[in-house]
Amino acid sequence: MLLNPLTYHSPKTALEAAQLYSNLPEARILAGGTFLLNNLKQLKKKGLKTPRNIISLKHIEELKGIVANKEKLIIKSMTVINDVFNSPHLTDNFSVLRTVCRNISTNPIRNMATVGGNLTSRYTWTELGAVLIALEADMHFTGPDGKEEIISVEDFLKNNARSSTIFTHVSIKKNKEHSFAYQRIRKLSYIDVPMLAVCVRTTFKGDRFTDTHAVMNNCVNFAQRDLVLEEFLNKSSRRNGVAEEALNHLDTKIYDIRGDDYKKAVFRVSIKNAIKDLINQKEKNDHPDH
Amino acid sequence: MTTLIINKKEYEVNLLGHETLLEVLRDKLSLTGTKTSCQESECGACTVNIDKKAILSCITLAVDVVGKEITTIEGLADGENLHPVQQAFLDHGSAQCGFCIPGMIMSCKALLDNNQKPNQEEMEYALDGNICRCTGYLKIFNAIRAAGTQMKAHV
Repeated sequence: MLLNPLTYHSPKTALEAAQLYSNLPEARILAGGTFLLNNLKQLKKKGLKTPRNIISLKHIEELKGIVANKEKLIIKSMTVINDVFNSPHLTDNFSVLRTVCRNISTNPIRNMATVGGNLTSRYTWTELGAVLIALEADMHFTGPDGKEEIISVEDFLKNNARSSTIFTHVSIKKNKEHSFAYQRIRKLSYIDVPMLAVCVRTTFKGDRFTDTHAVMNNCVNFAQRDLVLEEFLNKSSRRNGVAEEALNHLDTKIYDIRGDDYKKAVFRVSIKNAIKDLINQKEKNDHPDH
Repeated sequence: MTTLIINKKEYEVNLLGHETLLEVLRDKLSLTGTKTSCQESECGACTVNIDKKAILSCITLAVDVVGKEITTIEGLADGENLHPVQQAFLDHGSAQCGFCIPGMIMSCKALLDNNQKPNQEEMEYALDGNICRCTGYLKIFNAIRAAGTQMKAHV
């Protein structure tokens, strides 16, 4: 027996799920199961307490799918990673999501893991946080009274998890001017153990970087913006050496993790590559024939 | 009793909320072709198809897949006739110790059901969750190409 006995609940609506979550003692939400069930197995192995109630969201149809209109993209919380990867709606600034999803774990996991689980499981090494901060995405929750609460992904990761609410969807505004670069490094080549991720977004006005977001995921803390790097880039233009110079303008506390010099070095290479990638994208756009 | 639809056959099972699909397949229904290995979603040995997608039965609650179309390795052959993927694995010597092969074949089948002519990148994408400790990947990729050709000819 891999898991301790539990009571399984299968609500059919988000409101019903929120009410169950609010009323049941020792309840946990089951989305794709790729974090939770492994976590419960580990707790059982260690002889630690596991929740008595599991509320599965897998049968709530209103929480599945991707919708796009002229202004924004809505990804519902129970949409699995491979459905995001394969979505025809990932155009313009949303296309960075395809790169991110491509790099998440393994194919069966991508068939099971959900956007909601990735964001709300509160593991520091999950992938979507960094890119959704760069995309300035909002998370929408519904409570047991049916009221909607909206919070930015950045604030959600900075603050404590919502209680008694169900994450229903993420909304992202469309922006054709933003360019994105995403770098992700894993610790091992044969099993996906993320080490770090870097997502840099900018809008080039002429040669100048503007409206830059530089989001770092050091996998020890939640993804966060490097405001020092952003300020430097927003005062810079795409010239030779800017990527190297940017490395002198980092908020060092983000990268100073457990005295890991190797990781700090990999971060520097990844940031440099991300900035060069943005410059290359701009040059390709300006000179498509070269 | 709850009904699970496995390999197009209905099974009446007394399901408990905490039982994984892997446990139910192997321990309650004796469908032992699906292998138990890491039990923490790393190795892919327990891969089955649910609604034609490759998923890991070790991190799937059996009660969560009631009403879904579950396919295990036992459901591929048609009597004495092997499924094209199974036949291709045999023809290309793609199994070494063979322990990972049921999971590997289920991932291949899910891929080829949607795309009979996958390129190398698509094959690697589909199989990146199945670990072969004998490292026999090249012959497995050869088998996928052959099975895809065979399946395309029969569409």
